[in-house]
Amino acid sequence: MTQKIIQIPTLNDTPEDFQQLFEMSNQVNGLFEDVRFDFSSCRFLRSNAVAFLGGFARLIESLGGSVIFDWDTLRSNSVRANLCQNGFAGNFGYNAKAWSGHSIPYREEMEPDMNEIMDYLTFSWIGKWVNVTDRLRDAISGRMWEIYSNAFEHSGTEVGVFTCGQHFRHRNDLILTVVDFGRGIPAKVKAFLSQFVDEARVSKLSGADCMKWAFERGNTTSMGGVARGLGLDLLKDFVRINQGKLEVYSNDGYAIIDKEGERFDNCSISFQGTVVHITLRCDEKLYRFYDEAEE
Amino acid sequence: MKLSIKEWVGPRCIIKEDGQKIYEVIHGLLKSGETITLDFNGVSQFASPFFNFAIGQLLNDISEDELRRLLIIENLNESGSMVVDRVIENAAQYHGDKDYQKIVDDILEQQARESD
Repeated sequence: MTQKIIQIPTLNDTPEDFQQLFEMSNQVNGLFEDVRFDFSSCRFLRSNAVAFLGGFARLIESLGGSVIFDWDTLRSNSVRANLCQNGFAGNFGYNAKAWSGHSIPYREEMEPDMNEIMDYLTFSWIGKWVNVTDRLRDAISGRMWEIYSNAFEHSGTEVGVFTCGQHFRHRNDLILTVVDFGRGIPAKVKAFLSQFVDEARVSKLSGADCMKWAFERGNTTSMGGVARGLGLDLLKDFVRINQGKLEVYSNDGYAIIDKEGERFDNCSISFQGTVVHITLRCDEKLYRFYDEAEE
Repeated sequence: MKLSIKEWVGPRCIIKEDGQKIYEVIHGLLKSGETITLDFNGVSQFASPFFNFAIGQLLNDISEDELRRLLIIENLNESGSMVVDRVIENAAQYHGDKDYQKIVDDILEQQARESD
């Protein structure tokens, strides 16, 4: 069997960078592919790319293929240091132990272990970098749980959920990316609506249409007589209040919520799964509760 | 009856399974007209799946007015109160029999208008 070599480019977190990641994942379509990731062209790798690559590697393995990250091709010392620090390198064959720095640990969740994930969000993510009251820290972690809840409950992922984050000192931004390789939001929305509406009409819904529907309060693909559909709604309210940014890429749909409002778009390159990429501003004044006195 | 949520589910009210546990304890009692106090003292983290199942689904067969009269919530912080309010509002508006045909038609109509 021939080995497929995939070049990892320099990857930031703009929509174009995400498109590059999706294009890369589309290079592996079959079962039992042996893939070698080559870092020769990579000079910078943001945490969103780290979470995506980790999940993608596990997806290939789950399909019976093999994955090698070719650490000898990695020329950038800063990328190497970052990947060692956040634990990604250690997870994929490089002999290095993670350490505590500005990285936020790379994580793979096979099961929705609530306490483990909440500890990560509370103490390794928000609690590690943002100097806020415990009450506010807890409130933010609770909102972030909504992302995991959606990923585990709705995506049908068989390879788990992958997370990485980073704190940027200069801008004081805190980032979290959560990736799953499940069905994707547009696919789930279409499958749900097809139970009630002619499939030919439902198939005309674009990725952007489906994302918009999913982001509306109370809309849910869950059945069973319990009102749901608040997770994305609570999350987008939270991001808006705190002048952050929430981006969701799923199949051919894209949603962005920021201080300008909410926009939905179609992506030229589709991928099977969902990426939630959230940027919070670490300005304590933005997060203060109404009843917390000014100091 | 007073229920210490911390004793029943711990300091995190996050997942639907814990919400269901509380629902099963209080649903029958509320249906029979008993007043129930949920005490959130010592609970610090909240998410919507817990409240959808613990409280939201009570509105399937108890009116909102009746629920507000019989269910007393104590020591819930602002973050939790915000989620509960949103859950009750959402559940009160929830109809299992939405007109999805019209929803899809409206979306496609809008799509056609935008592409003109």
